[in-house]
Amino acid sequence: MAEPSGFLYPMTTADDGASRAGDMGDLLDDLAASATAKAVESATTTAASIADHESELAALAAGMADRIGAGGRVFTCGNGGSATDAEGVAALFREPPRGRPVPALSLVSDLAIVTALANDVGFERVFARQLRVHARPVDIVMGFSTSGNSDNVLQALRAGHDDGLLAVGFAGDRGGEMAVADFLDTCLVVSSTSIHRIQEAQSALAFDLWGRVQDLLERESANTVHDPGGAA
Amino acid sequence: MTSSDPAAGPAADMAPVALALARRLARGGTLWCLSPTWPHHARHVAVEFVHPVMVGKAALPAVVVPSDDPVDATRSLVRDGDVLLVVGPGHEPSLVDVCRRTPAWGVETIWIGAGDRPDAALADHLVWTDDDPARVSVDGRLILVYHLLWELTQVCLEHAGRQLAEPEPSHDVCITCADEALVAEVVDVTDGAAVVRLQGTTTTVDTTLVDTPRPHDLVLVHAGIVLSTLDEPVAAT
Repeated sequence: MAEPSGFLYPMTTADDGASRAGDMGDLLDDLAASATAKAVESATTTAASIADHESELAALAAGMADRIGAGGRVFTCGNGGSATDAEGVAALFREPPRGRPVPALSLVSDLAIVTALANDVGFERVFARQLRVHARPVDIVMGFSTSGNSDNVLQALRAGHDDGLLAVGFAGDRGGEMAVADFLDTCLVVSSTSIHRIQEAQSALAFDLWGRVQDLLERESANTVHDPGGAA
Repeated sequence: MTSSDPAAGPAADMAPVALALARRLARGGTLWCLSPTWPHHARHVAVEFVHPVMVGKAALPAVVVPSDDPVDATRSLVRDGDVLLVVGPGHEPSLVDVCRRTPAWGVETIWIGAGDRPDAALADHLVWTDDDPARVSVDGRLILVYHLLWELTQVCLEHAGRQLAEPEPSHDVCITCADEALVAEVVDVTDGAAVVRLQGTTTTVDTTLVDTPRPHDLVLVHAGIVLSTLDEPVAAT
């Protein structure tokens, strides 16, 4: 493997410079090999997650498209990196690269509301309380947790389910609490123990789901437009 | 996904980028994260470094730059020795404008993105995926890139942190004799002179050879004299 020796130059100033430069070259080689292996693992985990959940994704997309067609909106939530992934999924639905924009909001993005609820009510209620204020029975809630055990995400999904929403959980490893929850309409579990690989695959699953929903919405609008009964 | 190369994407090129980031962090630098196009990605990068998902890993200073006015915010926040990580497509005008100023601020840049590449000279490190950015930014592959950058940076600091913290050797090159003109950003203007940020240091330079520049203009400085004012980047049409 070629060594990017330009980066080693600053290491060669000390009296044991030669051996140090060699060490750093080994380190860079190890890092490149490790990164490549993990990228392959990510792609493999992602492809397997989508394949494993083929039937759930198809059924879920149909349910979501029905609700969206009836005016339903998408709410997302998660914590930490999963909070940002939830924001990304909401943005994907709301400002899509193709197809129909779907009203979608993340429950993590308003810091005034999140901190007010965390301070006054408790962190485990920050998403559920917002959902109770905003959501209607036709809506959809998607919760992201790599362990499947995040209390505030579970409470949001439960509150959503109780209010008639379609409740979708994204989990990892063996699914944690989400895998056995009776308040989820669908639970998509990424079978990995790496939090990073789980997050990557969860985003891929959500992207796949979004594509299926868009296809169904396009078919529906095409049917509406071309309905001969509707033509004057 | 049987062949490793397509699946690996930019992963194999990331080791030197992580080493450069680790070196600046080891010397006390801050990692600034900016993504006007996809602000949630900047937030994800910052939370990785500040609150690692793996127990026992070092918490490192990473901060999201507010992206309402990226250039003004970054100018105000960054200091000599910091790193700016930008995430976005190569044509994002505010990222182009920020990155052309970073040499003056003494800031090393990492640009993570997809699709059409920016001018390679704009950033010290490009970590690039050539596929459609509208897809890469949402299907998990961009997340993979900064997950790997975080992990490799941690490894560099664990294995070589003390070594990386040692000061950079002096190059002992006279930039006048080397005939090297450097980009500086004007801070303030007086009669015939200007205070500028130049390689992270604030200094006064002579402006008598050029039309009086305005604050925030980029100028080319050689031997303490402003040779020219750089044009604004041409907006893509």
